[in-house]
Amino acid sequence: MKIEARDLVVRYGGKRAVDGVSFEVEPGTVFALVGRNGAGKSSLVKVLLGQRHADHGEVLVDGRDPWRDRAALMRDIGASPEVPDAPPGLSATDLEKHHAGFYSQWDHAGFRARLERFELPLDSPFASLSRGQKALLMLSFALAPRPKLLVLDDPTLGLDAVARRFVFDELIGELSERGVTVFLTSHDLEGVERVATHLAILRAGRVESCGRLDELREEAARSGVEPPTLEEIFVRRTRMEVSA
Amino acid sequence: METRLRVDTHDSRPLWRQIEEGLEQLVGVGALLPGEVVPSVRELAKELRVNPATVAKAFQKLVDRGVLESRRGDGTYVAEKAPDIGAEARRARLVEAATRLATVAATLGASEAESHAALDRAIASLRGSAS
Repeated sequence: MKIEARDLVVRYGGKRAVDGVSFEVEPGTVFALVGRNGAGKSSLVKVLLGQRHADHGEVLVDGRDPWRDRAALMRDIGASPEVPDAPPGLSATDLEKHHAGFYSQWDHAGFRARLERFELPLDSPFASLSRGQKALLMLSFALAPRPKLLVLDDPTLGLDAVARRFVFDELIGELSERGVTVFLTSHDLEGVERVATHLAILRAGRVESCGRLDELREEAARSGVEPPTLEEIFVRRTRMEVSA
Repeated sequence: METRLRVDTHDSRPLWRQIEEGLEQLVGVGALLPGEVVPSVRELAKELRVNPATVAKAFQKLVDRGVLESRRGDGTYVAEKAPDIGAEARRARLVEAATRLATVAATLGASEAESHAALDRAIASLRGSAS
């Protein structure tokens, strides 16, 4: 599924959280949006998922406006929110019954296998799960309908090393087994470097750099960034300038 | 199979380049023999924990250069005949690699004898891993 965003603006009161952002995500690519806290990443995700209306500009997912066609689009989109959320008393088993009803296809066997890989309990109430377990459960729900597009808002935020590894391994597994387009925001630059094909660096609501990850690295190497790794590029491009 | 390939996100080389050079090295030392099947893009992607597109790019470069051969519908193999990069190119690449070693040795304050010994050991260990 293709994503096209043109000149998007999202305002909160007088503040522009997203300030004229344009980008394209080609089908089958892994597009990572990175930026410091408050750069506007989550606001963009909300617009992509049709949870918030853009104040200006346009976003098209598979040629459709997510704000107007949300219900239809969400059948093909798997999303995991930045903050895992579900009714506290329900278990993974209860929640699966609820989620599965919304989709025409639901990979129950795959879902169960994933829970086992993630060592997640089937019958514990959501509220009793750890931060990492909640995030992994959200990812499992996002993958179960075999979506064409995955939208992951900082899927490893607050996760320990084991849970982080589960998330990226699962993503790589999914990419290896079937073609899926991925849009993710992250602070986890090592993980991003491994999975992303394309990258946009967001800074104060604007796109600072955007393009193929390997080309951004080559460009950085040519301009003397040493070492030309994503981490170094990120730090240089997002550092607040010290005012003279 | 155990490929002995590693990728490092802190390495200044892009991941696809690390995979390309790593595979070429395995072929070079005989750890992967001519005609031998190479793990699939998916297998290698999972093992190295990188996007399959990255592995596919490395494979394509190696196929283009004649190190690997792609057989339609039948996976990727080490080329039967090692590509001849030419004496000039071989010398240039050796000089480049030797300069890297010399730089590290100078930075560490290692003696010439120590550097030679390290190189001899590296060659011996590669030969050992090939058998």
